[in-house]
Amino acid sequence: MPRCAASAASAIALKTPEPRRAHSIRGRLLGYLLLPLLLLVAAGFWIDHHTLVMPVYAAFDRSLSRTATEIAAHIEQQPDGQLKVRWPEPPGASRGFGRHPPPRLTWHGPSHRPPSPGFAAPSFAHHAPPPHFRPHETFLFRVSRADGSTIAGNADLVAAPIEHNNLGYRNADYHGTPVRAVSLRTTVAGEALLVTAAETMHWRDRVVHRLDTIIGLGDSLQLLLVLAISMLGITVALRPLRRLREQIASQSPEKLKPLPTAPIPGEVRPLVDSLNTLLMTVRDSAQSQQHFLTNAAHQLRTPLTGLKAQLEVLARENAGGPQQARIAALQGGIDRLAHTANQLLALARAEPSAHRASDFTPLALPELVGAVVSTLLDRSLVADVDLGADCQPAEVEGIHWLLHELLVNLVDNAIRHTPPGGQVTVRCGTTEGLAYLEVEDDGPGIPPDLRQRVRERFYHAGGNGQGSGLGLSIVEEIARTHRGRLLILDGSTGGARMRVEFPAAG
Amino acid sequence: MRILLVEDDSLVSDAITRGLSVEGYVVDAVATAEAAPARLAAAHYDLAIVDLGLPGMDGFDLVRRLRSEGNPLPLLIVTARDGLDDRVSALDLGADDYLTKPFALPELAARCRALIRRAGVAGSNELNVGALRIDLAGKRVLGAGGKTLDLTRREWSILECLSLHSGRVVSKDRLMQAIVGWEEEISGNAIEVHVSRLRSKLGADATVRSIRGLGYRLEDA
Repeated sequence: MPRCAASAASAIALKTPEPRRAHSIRGRLLGYLLLPLLLLVAAGFWIDHHTLVMPVYAAFDRSLSRTATEIAAHIEQQPDGQLKVRWPEPPGASRGFGRHPPPRLTWHGPSHRPPSPGFAAPSFAHHAPPPHFRPHETFLFRVSRADGSTIAGNADLVAAPIEHNNLGYRNADYHGTPVRAVSLRTTVAGEALLVTAAETMHWRDRVVHRLDTIIGLGDSLQLLLVLAISMLGITVALRPLRRLREQIASQSPEKLKPLPTAPIPGEVRPLVDSLNTLLMTVRDSAQSQQHFLTNAAHQLRTPLTGLKAQLEVLARENAGGPQQARIAALQGGIDRLAHTANQLLALARAEPSAHRASDFTPLALPELVGAVVSTLLDRSLVADVDLGADCQPAEVEGIHWLLHELLVNLVDNAIRHTPPGGQVTVRCGTTEGLAYLEVEDDGPGIPPDLRQRVRERFYHAGGNGQGSGLGLSIVEEIARTHRGRLLILDGSTGGARMRVEFPAAG
Repeated sequence: MRILLVEDDSLVSDAITRGLSVEGYVVDAVATAEAAPARLAAAHYDLAIVDLGLPGMDGFDLVRRLRSEGNPLPLLIVTARDGLDDRVSALDLGADDYLTKPFALPELAARCRALIRRAGVAGSNELNVGALRIDLAGKRVLGAGGKTLDLTRREWSILECLSLHSGRVVSKDRLMQAIVGWEEEISGNAIEVHVSRLRSKLGADATVRSIRGLGYRLEDA
């Protein structure tokens, strides 16, 4: 049977597994964007740091070197030939500073006060702070000779190596406090001197830190903005894909339409084209399956009708004749063949994907029970089975001929398995929001361990060779088409109670 | 009684012709729908049996054409197709009954009988069920041997309703509606009482069968 085509159709429409979220295009795009963006921000930060922060750092250094120059300018030779640093008057009469900014010479914290006895500078610690005064900054200096002996200042301040322009800078450590030091090579009264000035780095650290923070914040904000815009862009750009997904999901397997290609972006177009090719293949095979069934039905049933009718005529003409038994055997065979052919066709037609939502109409189950019982009444009379009904109001959304087929199969099964003189009762009603159809018989019942096997195709319960072994498969298939299920239960008198439950209509 | 059979499969056509001939019908068989109208014009037929799947013009077209011409001939459709759609459209087009292949000859014969009888009722107002002759216009019923059965009005109404649907199950509700004009207040038990009295009056001429939970069916004895 070409069931695969319809199954493929139903697989597309019904059974698409939820793809893992890790593979979402949005996630991948963001992933691919995020790493380069982070690298870009890091590079930007590095460049900003070097173009904006380093010059600030250099300005601090230059300011420190000017202070060193200032100190060098105040080294004088005493009358006794000794060199000494002579500090100018307090800033009120600050002639000595000339065009240069006043040196930031302030002592804070007595612990930093160098113990050198020759140190003559402390007096300026009491000066009023100059305009450039930076609180909490500690200033150190040392004037030394080429041989390393200290003339003035902090003797344990280590000089920086001279690099060019007679100047040298270094980061040093002064009694555990990191300082920035500048050394200036100069000559006073013919003697080579090294003037070293140093300051603690609180202020410049703060300034640099603040600048770095501002730059970092700005760059991060930029990154976030870019990401947000990217997200928005990706969402907008992926909208056609979402529309496509909705269009595919809304397709019904028996009425597949090509997906529209007009508003689809070029990148998605090949996907849509392939999907359309696939959809049309599936639709064609579903249609050809239905055509096949229609043709098979006709090609099987017509000769069967002819054979059956011819045998009946033959049987009548030979009534009481020598061939009667053989003709009866032939008739039995033809009847079984006809029954099986009918059941196979019904099974193929019951395929859930072969029906449209519009095929389902509200049906009153009591009417269905009445029609089916009427159809099978003569058969039950022949089998000497008391066929009856017990109907309560119930309604389902269903396909009339399929439900008719379902109930015919259940009742037919029950009649086959009920001994002469027995009873078959067809019931319908509603319990707990579920509409049900039920057929109970007086037969031997179905043992619990066989209840799964009897649902299998071509399984024969009684082995009387009459049934096609497809009846319950048809019932199950039709129940599934109606979102119902088949229950095999115990009858009140030990027989089988076959119950099909449906979601109630409305 | 003369029947026109429109069926292209010779095996089926031959068997139906033989089977219905045994039942006393004269059967003329044609293999195409195109050939049918000429035959119908040439002779009087009581029924046409039309196969839906015919080469060329199909059974639907023939039914549509006959009905559009106002031909009242009873039409029985036989088809190898199943499904409600075909059934509904065939009946909507004006066919009187519908039989799915493969069928048993006795069933076909029974349907033919019922259709011809129904068509006859429209003209004569007289029904035959088993040994009963039911005169719908005179509201009386003759049993075997031609003697008039003495029925109450309620029993007559029940028999009338059952005989108009003879061979089919008639629900208790429907029977109640049929006699409610005679007696405004009626219970389910009352129906059973009337039916059982009717049954004893009919005797062996015809059977009123009780169908548990559904209703009653009038059958040939």
